[in-house]
Amino acid sequence: MVAEKKLLLAPLDPVHNVGLRIIDKGLMERGHKTVLLPPDSKPEEVVEAALKNQVDFILVSRTMIYGAAEILGRLVDLVEAAGLRDRTKLIVGGMTITPELAAELGFDAGYGPGTEVDEVVAYIEGTRYVPAKRTQIKVKKRLENEYSYRVFHKGIETLLKKITDDILSWAEKRTSPGIERALLREKILEIEHAQAEGKISRKKTANRLRELNTAYLDHCDKIVVDFYKSGRLPRIVRVLEAMEIRQLKKYVAQIKMTAAGRIQHVLEKPLIFAQYGTGCPIQDIAHMKAAEHWGIDGAIHIDPSWEARAEGLLDGYLTHEENGTLPTFKNLRLIKESLNPATLYQVRLHRGLNSPEKALFAGEIGADHTKTALDYGSLGGGTDPARLTVDTVYSLRTAAKYHMATQIASNNQLLCGSPIFKSIAGALVTAYLSLRLGVKPILGSLFVYSPEAMITGKMDDNYIDYNAATVYAYRRIIDAPLWGGEPIGFNTQTEDRVQSATTTALHAALSASLNVDHISIGTTDEAYARGPIALASRIDTFKAVKEAFRFLGKAKIRPRSRAQKWARETVERVEETLREAAEIGFVESLYKGTFSTRNEGGYPGRFGLNTVVQRLAHR
Amino acid sequence: MVKSKRSDIKILDRVMDALDVETVLVSDNENEARNLAKELMQSFGLKDVDIVFLEHEGKTARLRIRSYIHRSGCRYAWLRTEAKGEKE
Repeated sequence: MVAEKKLLLAPLDPVHNVGLRIIDKGLMERGHKTVLLPPDSKPEEVVEAALKNQVDFILVSRTMIYGAAEILGRLVDLVEAAGLRDRTKLIVGGMTITPELAAELGFDAGYGPGTEVDEVVAYIEGTRYVPAKRTQIKVKKRLENEYSYRVFHKGIETLLKKITDDILSWAEKRTSPGIERALLREKILEIEHAQAEGKISRKKTANRLRELNTAYLDHCDKIVVDFYKSGRLPRIVRVLEAMEIRQLKKYVAQIKMTAAGRIQHVLEKPLIFAQYGTGCPIQDIAHMKAAEHWGIDGAIHIDPSWEARAEGLLDGYLTHEENGTLPTFKNLRLIKESLNPATLYQVRLHRGLNSPEKALFAGEIGADHTKTALDYGSLGGGTDPARLTVDTVYSLRTAAKYHMATQIASNNQLLCGSPIFKSIAGALVTAYLSLRLGVKPILGSLFVYSPEAMITGKMDDNYIDYNAATVYAYRRIIDAPLWGGEPIGFNTQTEDRVQSATTTALHAALSASLNVDHISIGTTDEAYARGPIALASRIDTFKAVKEAFRFLGKAKIRPRSRAQKWARETVERVEETLREAAEIGFVESLYKGTFSTRNEGGYPGRFGLNTVVQRLAHR
Repeated sequence: MVKSKRSDIKILDRVMDALDVETVLVSDNENEARNLAKELMQSFGLKDVDIVFLEHEGKTARLRIRSYIHRSGCRYAWLRTEAKGEKE
């Protein structure tokens, strides 16, 4: 039981007294007796009240900087002159106060901005202040499990079934170098795992491994063959030294993660994802470990510099200064193992020549999500449509085997920008295909300033209605989770740090208002392309989004009525697009512009062109 | 190289990646501001300098200037500092 204290609280500012009122409440709740003077109290009045009430403590506040030292100094002099100093302690608080300044002026204690009431109470009660610890232990959330995936629009569902029947039967007879490598890599990993666990002898399996590795190289580009055969590294790639890996593991082990930060305020979603891809796994890990502390829910592996560059993947702990970290098995495993087990992890497979193998890696290291997009990857991502289709079917089967969900990117995002109805149609095809192969899709992409909207002027007035219309359109068609990004606000960010953080935060607020499930957020370096993203720029947006969520709470942003009108029109045209694809055949329709013509920004990719071949019957 | 009061630590070694300076420079035009910004960073002994953002209005330029201390793929001095005791 703490002895009751008598306290006098006096705001020395003309108006600012909220801080003292909050402390007054805290002290009364603890059973202390307080006297609160009105704002703009004069030092003489404070001393008079202190004498009258025989208080143990005088707490004064001063926020205004002008004249602060004089008025506070005079108070100290008057308290001494009145003979109060022996029995009364003096405390000062306010925006301009530091403990050092308070001591200099003759106060017993001083508190500045950010002071907790408990801190002041602890001083008054003579106990040690222990800051409240974060108690929230992060739990991994797989929001896709909360959806039924029921297709409300029966006309669209019929077309999706027909199109995906066509895709599955087309892919059944075909293979690609990417798929053949994945099949070989699976066998290689099986042997390597068994060797590592001591289940089989290294000596006995050496020949088999050699055969598999040789066969693997039959399906690789020269740059990869040179790496394995002669140890020649691609330009600017460096092998991380064993010492660096040991130092990194020690660094990660030193980072305490008993309780994570949180960006959301009162709502549980959207879950927040950050992309990493500095080019170096060490830097990626350092960034993501910091991001976990700032409150992210998930990390996304991106490797644009390798995705479409070559047939085949390298091996080992590799680093380089390029956009995106090299997707070797060891790099990916190192990064995943460094993350908090509650952090969701995504490996993108939506374009490039190595998706089947990366899907295997993702599954083996315990990733939660992949990213898939038949139309965007082939019309906006540079990969040949036939190649991406056959690889995607294989990758989705792998995702199902490892219980991974998949984010569906859409063609409306980034620099492609086909009409929204075509984008939604394409995303729905990939989503329905995923469902048929046993993978839960998360539909996107949303909340970007699409080139289509720039051209049609649909975002000239605001960034709200068009994005809301897209969300409404999806929800008229299917009961499925949504993903904003990526990143949200793309094409609205500039190199101005404040502008960039603000626009990201506002798009995050909109996504929360529309009850979107996941968002990927960029950094304030989003529009800066002359160097790697700095960690400080990541923290900028984490802070900004957190503040936007605090601002919004459970309130809603109200889109204009045209958003619902656009959604209705969009759904009708989605059906038209799917009908055309069903008639032409899906792969053919990608080349013919059903999901985006060249005028609309869709160019059938050329990476992997003419690499799809008939599958041999014996496999 | 700037050292902390603990003489065994080089402070820049602790910079994770980039060091940004945000300020407003009095300048007649954007070009002058750009040159002044680079000179400013050089005067601090910083290399690998880029101007991330520059906005000139009237007689002033608002800027963010960056110097990469550790670029991706390099050997991070902060990693060595963190894992003290490891022999290289």
